[in-house]
Amino acid sequence: MQRRKFLGLGAGIFAVAATAPSMLMAENYRKALPKVWKIKNDEKSKGEDLTGVNAAIKAVFGSDKVEEGKIMLKAPEIAENGAVVPVSFKAEGAKKIALLQSADPEALVAIFDVPERGIPDYSVRIKMQQTGHVVVVAEIDGKLYKAEKKVKVTVGGCGG
Amino acid sequence: MRIKAKLKGDKTEVKVMMKHPMLSYRQAKKKGKEANFIVYVTAKNEGATVFEVSTSQFLSKNPYMKFYFKGGKKGEEVEITWVDLKGNTKTGKAKIK
Repeated sequence: MQRRKFLGLGAGIFAVAATAPSMLMAENYRKALPKVWKIKNDEKSKGEDLTGVNAAIKAVFGSDKVEEGKIMLKAPEIAENGAVVPVSFKAEGAKKIALLQSADPEALVAIFDVPERGIPDYSVRIKMQQTGHVVVVAEIDGKLYKAEKKVKVTVGGCGG
Repeated sequence: MRIKAKLKGDKTEVKVMMKHPMLSYRQAKKKGKEANFIVYVTAKNEGATVFEVSTSQFLSKNPYMKFYFKGGKKGEEVEITWVDLKGNTKTGKAKIK
């Protein structure tokens, strides 16, 4: 009897411990989705092939049905230095935003989770080894939206 | 890590520069080193997470980020922590101005 009680209690605690992190704690997508970071771009397409980008979108969001709009994306038309390409984007109401590109060996650059007090308005600097498309996908009210911009890179940024 | 946090109306603007070589697999191979880059960054304001991003080798060297969060008061702390591929971690703090 006592043992049974103890086991029941144990299971209860375990259930709480198992569900709590996903609700309270942040998500490290390097650990949660290890495979999505390895989805390759076709480098021979010179940044024009978005197959890898689309596959990564599907792997991150579970769908690749995207609509245009709702995202403001800023990236330079021509980047003289591919090692430092400033990219900024806003997506009001977004809960999750993925930043991708078609220029580097793999498609995914970053996944942003927007916490309750977070504002989906971000600026980062990325590397692009050749000309390619920068793609931002945001999940807003359960729907996926996309913005895309082509960046011409004159000196690649992945050669080091 | 250099952090600047500034109150702008009802939101706080944070600019952060993290010191890290961000060696991609290709760069590392050329240099005969092991790839290593920041993979995860979070920011907290008085205990609440206000920014969170999982990152890759394609962020620039010494990654710079700018973000905003709701609320925040002058004098409160913003605490930013990063983790890299090898599990190294660093935390920096700044007061909201």
